[in-house]
Amino acid sequence: MADPQQIFEEYKAAVEAGGSADPQPYLTFVSGRDREQLIALIDAYLERAPRREFDPLAFRRSGAAPVAEAAHRSLTGVGGLWPALLPRLRNRAHVRRDQLVDELAARLGAGAQRDKVGDYYHRMEHGLLPASGVSDAVLEALGTIVGSTREALRRAGELPAGGGRAAAGGGVFARMAGPSAEAEESPAAPPRLAEEWDEVDRLFRGR
Amino acid sequence: LSAFEELPEHSLSELGDDELIAYMQAARAAGADEAVKPALAILVYGYWDTLVHRALLKLPRSEAEDVAGETIASAIASAFDGRSVGEFRSWMHTIMSRRIADHYAARNRRPVTEPLASENDEGWGEEPAEPFSGDALHARDCLDRAYEELDETHRRVIDLYVLGPLPAAEAARRAGGTMSEANVHQIASRFQRRFRELLDEGDT
Repeated sequence: MADPQQIFEEYKAAVEAGGSADPQPYLTFVSGRDREQLIALIDAYLERAPRREFDPLAFRRSGAAPVAEAAHRSLTGVGGLWPALLPRLRNRAHVRRDQLVDELAARLGAGAQRDKVGDYYHRMEHGLLPASGVSDAVLEALGTIVGSTREALRRAGELPAGGGRAAAGGGVFARMAGPSAEAEESPAAPPRLAEEWDEVDRLFRGR
Repeated sequence: LSAFEELPEHSLSELGDDELIAYMQAARAAGADEAVKPALAILVYGYWDTLVHRALLKLPRSEAEDVAGETIASAIASAFDGRSVGEFRSWMHTIMSRRIADHYAARNRRPVTEPLASENDEGWGEEPAEPFSGDALHARDCLDRAYEELDETHRRVIDLYVLGPLPAAEAARRAGGTMSEANVHQIASRFQRRFRELLDEGDT
């Protein structure tokens, strides 16, 4: 069996030479305590690694691009970390968005307003819906579908990642068929008259 | 209104992490949301591979990118809001270590027949509750203990040479004082021995 220190030196040399820093191939050379030793060494080495120089082309091709986009929605929206969290939970649960919306509408007893539920969920994923208005019933149902909890979803949505201002998502708002766009553009805007709201509005905006 | 000045990408690339965060905060305060994007791209791209590869040490590939994405989004958000502790990179890696520990613990608790992901997989917004567990996590703890037993100069040698990119001669020069290349090799060797000793001792 190979010496973990030697494997570690080879890993470092490959990284410093500009090679891939994927550690998994190197781990196959050792087992047991040696493997644990190698993992700890690589882990500590990576933790000390400086920030990589920016390469716009490589960025666009990398997994970093959608993460940066989601982080941007979080920082400039009103839904806390939902833009970063919800799509990942959905992907992890292997649920397509249309499937999720179908099930969410059914669980909320709003099967007849499936499109409206879909619009609201779209806003949640894009950081355009203040978490403070979303009811526990919605988060409970959503958590069940994506394998999370109401509490975890609430925490993520209420993290003040952004400055409390909705992003200027004109294209998104233009798609809305349900509640008025102007009511969502400012979270501080007064709610529409109660008689204009239906149960779905209350579930997503009335808490 | 804030006198925010948008910087070109090449100027942003020269900023440190915390300066990039400050730039994004200023852009946000000035309502220049689009100006946040290039700064975010630089920060996320700069650490993406490192985070994914750290996750790959302990998690399957299917989960590594999720954990990396959650980590960096959470780290940036908390730094943006002033809730982070210390420098950005260190804070981000602390979050990563805890996310992995929680993930690891949740996976170990989960019966293989259970169809759903653990409810404890998401620790957004709070310090993860699970302590480090598992052999690989214990090994990292041993390495940190061996490191902490060293004085400041010797730690610097470890940072530069054993866990850093420099050859021994350059590490000796950077460490300063009377440090020689031979000293660097000795310090490194003792550190590796002590680390392995702690690891072989088990949990004591």
